Amino acid sequence: MRVAISSSGTSLDSNVDPRFGRCPYYIIYDTKTDSSEHIENESRQAMGGAGIQASQFLANKKVEAVIAGNIGPNAYRVLSAASIKIYSGVTGTVKDAIEKLKKDELKETLAPNVQSHFGTGPGMGTGGRQ
Amino acid sequence: MKQLTIISGKGGTGKTTVASNFIKLARDHVAVDCDVDAANLHILLDPDIKKKEEFIGGAVAGVTGECINCGKCEEACRFGAISDSETDIKIDTLKCEGCGVCEYICPVDAIELKTEGQGYCYISESKFCTLVHARLNPGAENSGMLVAKVRNDAEDIANKYNKKVLIIDGAPGIGCPVIASLNGVDYTLIVTEPTISGISDFVKAFELTKFFDIKTFVCINKYDLNLDNTDKISNFCDKNKIELIGKVPYDDKVPAYLSNKKFVIDDSESKAGKEIIAMWEAFSGYLYSS
Amino acid sequence: MELDLEWEQEVGSKLIVSIASGKGGTGKTTIAVNLALSVGYCQFMDYDVEAPNASFFLKPDIKHVKKVTIKHPYFLKETGADFSKCAEFCHYNSVVAVGSEVVFFPELCHGCGGCLLVGPERAVREKDITIGEIKKGSAKPMIDFFMGNLKPGYMRTISIQSELDKSLERSELVLIDCPPGNSCPMVFAVKDSDYCILVTEPTPYGLNDLLISIEVLKNMNIPYGVIINRDGIGNDEVEKHCIRNNIKILLKIPNDRGIAESYSRGETLIEYDESWKTKFKGMISEIEGVVKR
Repeated sequence: MRVAISSSGTSLDSNVDPRFGRCPYYIIYDTKTDSSEHIENESRQAMGGAGIQASQFLANKKVEAVIAGNIGPNAYRVLSAASIKIYSGVTGTVKDAIEKLKKDELKETLAPNVQSHFGTGPGMGTGGRQ
Repeated sequence: MKQLTIISGKGGTGKTTVASNFIKLARDHVAVDCDVDAANLHILLDPDIKKKEEFIGGAVAGVTGECINCGKCEEACRFGAISDSETDIKIDTLKCEGCGVCEYICPVDAIELKTEGQGYCYISESKFCTLVHARLNPGAENSGMLVAKVRNDAEDIANKYNKKVLIIDGAPGIGCPVIASLNGVDYTLIVTEPTISGISDFVKAFELTKFFDIKTFVCINKYDLNLDNTDKISNFCDKNKIELIGKVPYDDKVPAYLSNKKFVIDDSESKAGKEIIAMWEAFSGYLYSS
Repeated sequence: MELDLEWEQEVGSKLIVSIASGKGGTGKTTIAVNLALSVGYCQFMDYDVEAPNASFFLKPDIKHVKKVTIKHPYFLKETGADFSKCAEFCHYNSVVAVGSEVVFFPELCHGCGGCLLVGPERAVREKDITIGEIKKGSAKPMIDFFMGNLKPGYMRTISIQSELDKSLERSELVLIDCPPGNSCPMVFAVKDSDYCILVTEPTPYGLNDLLISIEVLKNMNIPYGVIINRDGIGNDEVEKHCIRNNIKILLKIPNDRGIAESYSRGETLIEYDESWKTKFKGMISEIEGVVKR
């Protein structure tokens, strides 16, 4: 299984970055081959919806699970639609997170951290020209 | 790491006064000026600029090829940005939203979306902490993108140097830049004033923070200017479960302090200063707890 | 029946004057409102559609409210169509296609119509979404009043301002109360004006933002003058800069707690002290003179 972990740096000793959509890197770890690689998060400066774009990006990379600190409601919707497992609220180093995953110590997140406001009124874009 | 954004809805209520004095009182922190349209924190904090980066904004359409005056782009543009397409085509960059429809629909590929430098992002060192700030070019789009970049840079620094707190001077108003100032923060302080305009804008700002589910605090600046209005604000806070964390008295000397790059909290005689210190002490409890 | 006119209608005053300020809270609306009431007969337009405040002071009788809408797409998923082209096209990340699912984020959508254009035929439709409104009315004595209101959370300031543009007429004196700042919304509000009054405060912050505003106006070839509000709270840097650079200081309003308290109650300057009326009327005449030259 390919797992994407939001990371503050490029190595396994980097911390799990609290921001899923705006972290600087993802570490992609393959549980079958026990190998990992880092990729830059091109979505982080996105004009609104960084989490959305990041989720689509990772889905296109055939990632089957994500590990991060905070995953917002928009990213959550995309990841769920893509049937990607979500593990949020994770802290510590990337290496720690992988170990916990291997030992089945991570709990899957079944609802977004923050309530989604879709359809209830004003929106929350962080960008776009006015 | 905890993040506090200070907003005001209406301009001139004292947001920067409160933010700057908090910045002086805090420790293990990074300061962020998200008011990229009219950035003021750097004037007061007088930091040394360590890094300057050009900010490339959202794309805008431009005619780059031979226009055949078919008029298709003008018809398709939902924002009224294209005019005179059948004679001497003009694209109004103020109205252009960079959606790409005209680029797509042009039969001869004469229109292209291009990005442009919209301002600069700075990382500076002040006496108290690192300050991340930016300046939009005059007349540039203020979509919130530059604010998002300033926030990213600040969070990167806080993560890298294990800082505990981010104090964010938010953008005024209720538009995109404010939304970008509020996205994902732990607490927000709305600084308001007991005036009719102030109350109206405060209510709008609160609508915004409500939708983000961010714990909201309120401070009434110059509260003794109008005690009736102060009561109105207080009642609104009670009804909506917003914590009223401070009432700062009108103090004519405050603008003078700011002008002289001084901090009102350093004046032991100032009641306004004492109230700001008390507010900070209350916030510290929230910001520094695990 | 002859109307009993107390005020003098400015003959030939077909002028568009905007009132702006880089820094927020300097008193733009105060100046705009008091100008309108002093002259008495004009068109007043509140272009600060995110936080319009002029109506609290002018207390207009609103006669028309017009909703401003944009079109949002909706996707007929039951057709089983592939919406990935819509997702690829969208510049705002408001449409995502993963697997066989399409996910739409209305808060990010600008209503550009791209989905309809590039998406599978007949599987994408549109519906109207209200993003704000325009209000038209009249205020005493003879003010044609216009304002716009943007719903919080929608990034469509320019769209609402564009609607206001449609009501702009150079048939009399037009006063435009601008949004604060020096970015797009301010530029949009001042773009048609013959003259711009920049309101500032006598502090380094006021000066900093004033200089940027001046740059904007110079680039647009719009003549300008300065009003220093809350004079006395800071220093004389703004005044010195204006004098050194031959920038007209139109008026100085002193820092006064009485004025501040009156403002907090929603009172105008001329209600507080009628002598300001002459000063404001004089300012318009002066501006007229500059523009005619």
